[in-house]
This record gives sequence, C-alpha cells and structure tokens, in this order.
Amino acid sequence: MRRNRMSEASETANGPALSPVHRPKAGPGDRTFLTRREWAAAAGTAILGACGKPSAIEPPLVSIVRAPGYDGRIYQTVRDLLARQQLQVRGRSVLLKPNLVEFEPQSAINTNPLLVHAVYEGFLALGAASVRIAEGPGHRRNTFDLADAAGYFGIVPRFEDVFVDLNLDDVRQVRHPHQVSGLRKWYLPKTALGADLLVSIPKMKTHHWVGVTLSAKNLFGVVPGGVYGWPKNPLHWAGIDECIADLHGLFPRQFAIVDGIVGMEGNGPIQGSAKQVGVLVAGRNPLAVDATCCRIMGVDPLKIRYLLLSAGQESPLMERNIRQCGESIASVATPFQLIPEFQRIRLEKRV
Amino acid sequence: MPIALLKQKQNPDGGWPYIRGSSWTEPTAYAVLALLSAGETEAAGSGLRWLRAAQRSDGSFPPQPGVDHGAWVTALAALVPAERLGLPAHARSIEWLLGNSGTESTLAYRVREWLLSTSVGDFENAGWPWAPDAAAWVGPTSMAILALKKEHSRRPSAATGARVDSATRFLWARVCRGGGWNYGSVAVYGRDLPPYPETTGMALAALRGDRSPKLGQTLDLATRFLAECRGADPLNWLRLGLIAHGRLPKGYCPPARIEPRTIMEASLDLLVTNASSAEGLLGS
Repeated sequence: MRRNRMSEASETANGPALSPVHRPKAGPGDRTFLTRREWAAAAGTAILGACGKPSAIEPPLVSIVRAPGYDGRIYQTVRDLLARQQLQVRGRSVLLKPNLVEFEPQSAINTNPLLVHAVYEGFLALGAASVRIAEGPGHRRNTFDLADAAGYFGIVPRFEDVFVDLNLDDVRQVRHPHQVSGLRKWYLPKTALGADLLVSIPKMKTHHWVGVTLSAKNLFGVVPGGVYGWPKNPLHWAGIDECIADLHGLFPRQFAIVDGIVGMEGNGPIQGSAKQVGVLVAGRNPLAVDATCCRIMGVDPLKIRYLLLSAGQESPLMERNIRQCGESIASVATPFQLIPEFQRIRLEKRV
Repeated sequence: MPIALLKQKQNPDGGWPYIRGSSWTEPTAYAVLALLSAGETEAAGSGLRWLRAAQRSDGSFPPQPGVDHGAWVTALAALVPAERLGLPAHARSIEWLLGNSGTESTLAYRVREWLLSTSVGDFENAGWPWAPDAAAWVGPTSMAILALKKEHSRRPSAATGARVDSATRFLWARVCRGGGWNYGSVAVYGRDLPPYPETTGMALAALRGDRSPKLGQTLDLATRFLAECRGADPLNWLRLGLIAHGRLPKGYCPPARIEPRTIMEASLDLLVTNASSAEGLLGS
C-alpha cells in the first residue's frame, strides 16, 4: 500500500533526496485503482455512511449556483441554495467547517469569511438551535490569529464566541468498524462529533498529494492537532486517501458547500494560483458534491483515489447518478491547471 | 495579570485546559512552569500532582489522560524542575525522550528502506515526532532539545549530549533558504516554503549556545518577525529565541493590544517577561 508520509512538505535543506520519509516513494496520485481488500473496506464504509441517510435512497441532489464575487449578494444566493436543498435543521446544532490554512489574506488559500458568514446566517434563518464555526488548521497553531488574518473577525460578529479551535477541543475516542486506513481508533473533537450536522465549506483547490481538495479532504481539519500534531503527520503515514475515507465514514451527517467563487489551481493547496470560477456547489452528499466539483475543474472524479475509497464503488460518483440542479456543469466548467504529477487525473469523458 | 488568569482557569483536578474544558498535559506543564517561576507554589502544586498522575508507565505523557499513547508533551513535563516533578518521574520522562524519535530514524524503518533499496535519506539526525508512528518535526524536536539540554546541565551524560547534537543537526538540516524554520521542510516541488515566526523562535530557543554560521541570518529574520508579528504565540517564542542568543532588543515591549487567548500563551508570556524565568526554561 502506498503511503504519503507528508502533506505539504517534501524536502529538507540539503535537497529533495535527503529524506525519503518526507516524500512519497511512489509519485503522488500514481494509483487510483483499489485492491480487492480496499474495495471491501470501502464498501463497508459506504454502507455505514448510508445508514440513517434518507438521501441514500434516491440519487443525491447537488446544486450549482453562480456567485460572481464575494459581496453582499452572496447572502441571498446562499439562502436560496439552502432552501432548494430542503434541509431540516430546526432545533438542531450545526457546525460549519471552513478551510483555514495560511496567513495570506490576499491569496485563494482560505475559505472566504463572507461566504461562511452567509452560511452561518442561512442556517440560523432555517431555525437551527445553534450554529458554530470550527477549524483545526494543519500547520499553524495560532488558529485565532489565522482566522483574524483571513478576515473572520471583521466579517463574523462576535466571532470569538462562535468559533471553536478543533485542534484544542476536548476529544473522544471513536472506532471505525470498517476502517480503510491503518488507524484502528481516532481521537476526534467532541464539538464535531456532537454536532447534528457538520457543514464542510472548503475552497475549490488542487492538491499536490491527492489531486484535489474539496469537502471530503476538508475533514482533515477536524482531526485535532492537540493529539496528532502540526502537521497531523500520523494520518500521512496511515495513508491520506485512506484516512479521508475513514473520516467520511465517521461523520455521516454532513452537508457540503464548496467555495468555487475563486479557487486555486496548479500547485495547490497553498502555493497554487487563484482561479476564478464564480460558483458555489452544494449538497447533502459530500462525495457527489466533490465529484461535481471535479467535473467543473476538468478532473475525473473516478481517478481521485479517496473518492473511490469513500464511495465504495464508482456509481455514486457518476454524473448520471447525481441529480444536478441550478447551472449545468458544462456552463460553468473551468478547467484547472494540474501539476505534471497529476496530469493523469484530467477528465477525458464525463460519465 | 497572567497569574490571575492562570489561577482562574485552573480546573478542579489541578490541571489546565487549552482554552476551556478538560485538562491537557501541554497547558498544564506550561502553567506549572509559569507559576513556579512566579513563586505561586500552591496552584503549581496541584498542577504538579495532575502531571504525576498523568504520566504513563513507560515514562511518557499523553496529550490528555484519555489518549492512550505518549507524545511530544513529555518534553514539556521534563522541563519542569526534577525536584518539583519528582526525581523518579522526571528520570523516566528523560529516559523515554532518549528512546523516542521520528519513525524515519528507527532501525526497523532504516532496514526496510535498505531492503527496498530506497535508502537515500537523512537517517542519522534524529528528531522527535508530535505523536507515535510519524516523522520528526521542528516543533517537538525543539522542545525535546530544551528538555535534554536542561537535564544535561543538571546531570551530564554522554547519551543526552549525543542526542542533543544529533537533534541540533536535524534542525539545521531543515532551516529555510533565507533563514528561520517552517514546520519541518524547506520546499515542495522545488518551491521554497516560508519560515514561520513561532517555529523560528522555538528552534532558536533550542539552539541556545550554537555557533552555526547560519545563525546570524536567522537571528536577523527573527528580529524582523518580532517587529511585524501581532500574535501572542509567535511573539512569545520569538522573544524567547532572541533572549537565548542575547538578541532581544533592549527595552522591548510587546504591542499593548495583544491578549493571550490560550493557557500556553499566558504562561509563556509570564515566563518570557521575567528574564530569570526564561533562563529557567532555557537552561543555564
């Protein structure tokens, strides 16, 4: 089994060949096929994830809506989007999980705070008993400073009262009955485990180890640095793709809204270039949302290994098995630049 | 002010949370160090009892008592004066640190890499990981160096000295092109990674007394970071790192509006503000 041992780091001062542990021996993204054993484990994950999810009975609904910029119009756009998805959150606790990575407010690294605030207001308007925002960045320990630099304090009123640093939250041990990774047990934040609905709000980005980072990969930020470190390196040793699949199974009550207004292409998720797409993609099935985002980005979701592991089979990722509403994929498709190591995931034919 | 905050935030079990909630080893160790430096022995005493109870049978400390593995926070506990933590407990924590390293430098991994003919790496300079089954990184390695240097000055041994030397080389092998440290690497796909203020301060503190030719560039960078930073955590570490090399600007005061948000930030501020406390953390 190939294992990526690092996320955003691969070289030391003495050159790229110095430390094999810091660079995957096989190239990133060089295997998307699954072994028989992996299929079995992934199928178990899919079955577990489907339990108690009414959406598993019928094809998942994925909304694609145009959102040309980060301005006041986004509030109405998000309200309309949530209404179309018919979410029942009255009296429920909702946890919003944006993607906060680095102190570069002018770049396209972090989920835009205006979108997160619009989602926050949207869920309150739907009658949610509580809405909180939470994140556990993978590299930087001073999460509040990071959120401040990303503009959250300026946009979200009383941000400090509604925000939870998942890296430092109290944890509970949980086990995945059909684990795909080598991690037999997980320590996860009680705030995330206790939420009635976990809303993943990632940025639409390429990722130099796994191809793309969308709502499923965004769950890495739920894993607490207080137990796993900065970066959360035990997950890299246990397999990034496999850990994403496990996390997907451990959080069965999810909703996803991908910030594709401005994404990141090339050497993402940190050092890539901003990419204007002008869309939000949302739905109750994060894998269907991610598969749709892939097609918008010009990436074949069936070549993203963690999506295959999480889904357990190809069919939930296939376009014909997803109910698309709003804009068509073709009308918003904006191919993202891919680094040479990931040219092979380029979408050739939509299925 | 930090002393009152620390006392107010102390949990009934004697430990401290990161911000709120249950007690964790990291904030408890920092709070104990800070309170001891301020002569607050009563509050520190119950924190010490919490730490002793949290120690695992192998000498390590878990991040939180419910977590069933030892971790990098063992170095923080080992920074507590041995006579305060208890000599046997302290000795066992040092022993665990000496036997722990990133997976990439373990014998089993090296043999495996050799058999696979992919042995091209830097196995010799062993640092410490954040958690088991993972590679070594700048942050935990810096904290372990601090603990072992302090122990070496108290009770010199060849094993401790050798491990400090190896870990020091580990840090210098990971210094960024323009000086300073990212969390552990210098580049991805040939593109340089930027140094982080907090990691740079941490590594500088660990490298007290080092005479590497690369030091000057990094100290200059840390001084620039100090002027630009607006976060409590990086400012604490930068101050400590510069104090370690006698380079903290004379009369320096952190910007007034910066308030600590976590127990670590409040504790480190207390430790760093008092030069003799910083000395206690850095070793003599």
